[in-house]
Amino acid sequence: MHEIQSKPVPSVDVKQVKCIHGFEAIQRDYPVYLTDESKLSAKPIDYLWFPKDELELAAVIREMSRLNIPITIAGARTGLVGGSVPETGALVSLEHLDKVEGLFYDPLAEEWRLRAQTSLSLKAIDNMLQFKQFPNLEKHPDEWVRSNFVRFKDDPNSYFYPPDPTEMSASLGGSVVTNASGARTYRFGPTRAWVRGLRVFLADGEYLDIPRGKYFASPAGKFVISNSRGEVKSFNIPGYSLPRTKSATGFFTAPQMDLIDLFIGSEGLLGVVSRVDVALAKREPKISIIQFLDSEDQALHLTHALRSDGRLQLDFLEFYSENALKLLSDLQIAEPATVGMPAIPPQARAAIFFELSFDPKQEALDFSALEETLASCGADLANSWAGYEPRELERLKVFRHLLPETINAIIAERKKDIPALHKLGTDMAVPDVHLDEIWQLYKQRVQEEDLEWAAFGHIGNNHIHVNILPRNLSELEKGMVLYEEFATRAVALGGTVSAEHGIGKIKRKFLTLMYTPEQIEQMRQVKLAIDPQGLFNPQDMFLGEVAQ
Amino acid sequence: MLKIDHERCTKCKLCIRNCPFGALSMVDDLLQVNELCTLCGACINVCRFDALSIERKKASKEELAKFRDVFIWIELDEMGETIQPKKVALELLGKGRQLADALGEQLVAVVLCGEKCLDLNKLGQFGADKVILCQHPLLGQYSTDGFTHAMCAIISAKKPAVVLYGATPHGRDFAPRVAARLKLGLTADCTGLEIDAERQLVQTRPAFGGNIMASIITPYNRPQTATVRPNVFPVPQAGQDQAVKVEIFDLVLNRSAIRTRVVEKSVMADGNATRIEDARVIVSGGRGCQKAANLDILRSVAGQLGGVLGGSRAIVEQGWIPHTIQVGQSGTTVGPELYIAAGISGAIQHVVGMSSSKTIIAVNKDPEAPIFKIADLSVVGDAVEIMQKLHELLAAHSHI
Amino acid sequence: MKIVVCVKQVPEVTNVQVDPVTGTLIREGVQSILNPFCEYALDHAVRMAKQLENAHVVAISMGPPQAKDVLLRCLELGADEGILVTDRQFAGADTWATSYTLAQAIRLAVPDYDLILVGKQAIDGDTAQVGPEIAEILSLPQITYGTQIGLSPSGRQVRVTREVEQGYEVVEAAMPALVSFSKGEMVRRAPSFRDVLQAREKPLRMLSAAALNIPEEELGLKGSFTQVVKVFPPPEKKTGRLLQDLEAEEAAQAIFDYLIERRFIE
Repeated sequence: MHEIQSKPVPSVDVKQVKCIHGFEAIQRDYPVYLTDESKLSAKPIDYLWFPKDELELAAVIREMSRLNIPITIAGARTGLVGGSVPETGALVSLEHLDKVEGLFYDPLAEEWRLRAQTSLSLKAIDNMLQFKQFPNLEKHPDEWVRSNFVRFKDDPNSYFYPPDPTEMSASLGGSVVTNASGARTYRFGPTRAWVRGLRVFLADGEYLDIPRGKYFASPAGKFVISNSRGEVKSFNIPGYSLPRTKSATGFFTAPQMDLIDLFIGSEGLLGVVSRVDVALAKREPKISIIQFLDSEDQALHLTHALRSDGRLQLDFLEFYSENALKLLSDLQIAEPATVGMPAIPPQARAAIFFELSFDPKQEALDFSALEETLASCGADLANSWAGYEPRELERLKVFRHLLPETINAIIAERKKDIPALHKLGTDMAVPDVHLDEIWQLYKQRVQEEDLEWAAFGHIGNNHIHVNILPRNLSELEKGMVLYEEFATRAVALGGTVSAEHGIGKIKRKFLTLMYTPEQIEQMRQVKLAIDPQGLFNPQDMFLGEVAQ
Repeated sequence: MLKIDHERCTKCKLCIRNCPFGALSMVDDLLQVNELCTLCGACINVCRFDALSIERKKASKEELAKFRDVFIWIELDEMGETIQPKKVALELLGKGRQLADALGEQLVAVVLCGEKCLDLNKLGQFGADKVILCQHPLLGQYSTDGFTHAMCAIISAKKPAVVLYGATPHGRDFAPRVAARLKLGLTADCTGLEIDAERQLVQTRPAFGGNIMASIITPYNRPQTATVRPNVFPVPQAGQDQAVKVEIFDLVLNRSAIRTRVVEKSVMADGNATRIEDARVIVSGGRGCQKAANLDILRSVAGQLGGVLGGSRAIVEQGWIPHTIQVGQSGTTVGPELYIAAGISGAIQHVVGMSSSKTIIAVNKDPEAPIFKIADLSVVGDAVEIMQKLHELLAAHSHI
Repeated sequence: MKIVVCVKQVPEVTNVQVDPVTGTLIREGVQSILNPFCEYALDHAVRMAKQLENAHVVAISMGPPQAKDVLLRCLELGADEGILVTDRQFAGADTWATSYTLAQAIRLAVPDYDLILVGKQAIDGDTAQVGPEIAEILSLPQITYGTQIGLSPSGRQVRVTREVEQGYEVVEAAMPALVSFSKGEMVRRAPSFRDVLQAREKPLRMLSAAALNIPEEELGLKGSFTQVVKVFPPPEKKTGRLLQDLEAEEAAQAIFDYLIERRFIE
């Protein structure tokens, strides 16, 4: 059905909610709240709120609404596009809503599900699942929760939550409203594929509990939300089609879509997610392999071969360009123990990194399919690293994540002399058939402009991050022009301008590259219906001024 | 053997949860013990139903009584022209005195050396009742075979109840060979030594990287032997200067018995004039110092405080400092008056190497750093910046 | 040349947690790994073998059946053969019983060894005794705290660089000999995918107590000279003062004042 009722929560006095008043105090005592991983600077705001539970959250929303003060929502502040960087009004930090509420088995779907509050981090979830340590479930007052937890512990299998963005300190709620992705999205899909329910607080202070599979848009594309006071919000979902790639750009829409999907990836524009139910997958033993190659072309060739081989089921498929390997080699010389892996073969010009299921207990291993595929692309199996013990998988993961960190460190160093400098990392993805074309475009154009760059990323999803490291402002300028050129081409090829980082404030311009003014207007209408006052995240996505 | 009385067992599983080795489990609804059991007795301690017990064989009291006295191997240091006992040997004389008194027996210092020897009366000043002097040209330089032969000969002839060695590179090299040759129990890196009611030496040491402590006895064999790390026990007060009783031990030892040959020796640059285990003040750096060059700041502060530079294993692995100044379980154990930990997280393997420092100051960016749990003064912040500022304050102060 | 490497499977103790209530180790989720010092020994063995013709590296371990995993890892890292000495009767062995058992296994399984390489110590026991004890039982010369190894110019002696307190020394001994290592590769090696696949083709066998002809009274707990009588958590440390949210200058000043207060500076 396409109609849903929101519910109110008991009132609490907003004066009891911890609040810091005045920009001076906020800047002096809580400066970290004024930026996120994008390092975008905030503009002056008047309130910094720390609600400790849903009741306080509702009270803050109602109060800010009453005073007509817009709210920027902050989770773990790990976003890369300035989503939680406030520019006016109030910032609400959800950090205290971080409890696990339960683990439940759904017999119909035959899966375990985790219910948790919005600010629980993905890393904490991973840790708790790995060791099956959930202290507040063990002692929970509700017998139903406790007995389910015992059942979970007694289950001989081990479970994990598949979405794995590089920054695992990200909050669960944050990952939901940005539809976060990581390397494992190649096999497991983005966050959207794992969300089974959510609770979201709307601008009137009431909340919606939306389980997946219950509320669908009418054949005409309509949803109706009514609240306890009889006020009705009715709107139509946008009519555009989404790109055929992994995408984190614009509102989700599809004929007769599930209401839950509207909120997933909505970047906080439509409400505040306070609680999420996610499904868990069974943990299987894996083997991680980095295959070093003689050329970047060989890497593309191998990608196509691995993808198209139906016998292989890879968890992820990642790419390292020649320059990326060079940056890591340089780091290895300076800090060998930080890199933690043996010397990268000096003659390697590219690398493909992948992971697949592997049972080390098996007597005989049959990897003939993989061996064949690698050999068919001229890859030498001896020129690789492989590991399957937990600590080997861990150090290979650390190695994978070192590259973005190294790039950030280089930019930070350069910023000391040229403060206006920043990193330029593209986030475009295209359909499979256009991988080679977009890669050639990236390579050719960057080399033509003589810029310093390193490319790496989720080649399995045709989602390669092209990182330009500008050495001066003129290079920064050139880089930004190239970025727009790449984005335009990606869209023309049926791809997306933002495959995982989202739009936020930094990429507002790119939204217009991908959607027509009419399509953006359709998104605006949805926003207007659900949040007529424009209370939430007023400067993100299609709102606010386009960044310079 | 761990004996389980299934009639008394209520299957409460308290023992399973308390077993440090994972040796107990329920199989087909019965409590079972597997091969991981070490008979440590942790389960017996918690069982409220007397369902668990251990049978132990005991050596006869007469046999044990033939072994008497506490022997300390006095390792020697050549400092220029003179020969001195190593500081750890004096620490062991202090502890050995307590043990000998508890047993009502003698404390004996065992000296193995070549032609040059030390002033033996010094050993009397630090508590020895007697010195056994084994002098032989081939013992002038340390060798595994030479020292093993000598010590085995002495032990077989003299029958001590206890033999203690400093857990130095040499001590740890030949103590196990002596133990293997004579079929003795040896407990390494003891942090505690006591005599119990049955006159057994109870040897306490860390295990599992320092995460747990184990108390050990050697019930059937004599002597009971143990190695002890430097800076675990205090150096005793030196007593009156008086002549100590010396017994000469003649050793037969042939050149051919020594099967290793030192071909080359080299001394490290940062191998300080003051050795790290003897330093009064240590300023120690970890990963939080970010790069090798930053260690210069720590060196300066160390100098200003009359101390030396040390470091964690992490920075030794990066090649920023030599292993000679590594503090920690696989490095050196130190117990200075003042230990300043800059940019060190405080993993147990490091803490085990410096926790007996009298005063500990720790600086780390991470408010949850484990080192803060043992520091007297903990400061959350950037180690390099703070050390730099401290260096400036100290420089200004010394000019007043 | 035949090189025997003794290895041990140990729990990864760097991140192990102690249950604050019972004071015992939390075993859930703790990985079992190849003891780091044993890995150094293996690396040295494999490197030596590569430089020589006809060298053969045998990895041997005494442990429960799951210790097979570390032998497999040794094979992946370049050992030619693996032997697991496993039997319920070995349970509860202290260093003496372990050394005795391993020495016997080496005598029987690799009687023509030239070198036995071991790690300095296991990170769970930390005794550093098994190497020297094996050397004594087999009457071999030993060199401990090794960091590098090679052959003497004549090829008949082994030449080892070892750590001493003030630096290094180089020691020679005639083979057969035993060497224990305190240092190896700065960063752990990683096998290639080919190494992982080929490891499973290499011989890996198990030996039981019966096969070793060791009298029962020398085995396991019965054969041990020492006995653990108690296990308990390390003592709680004092809590000190914690200073947070200070600027670098203020922090340095606080430390300076503390040093004056405690008379470390006049």
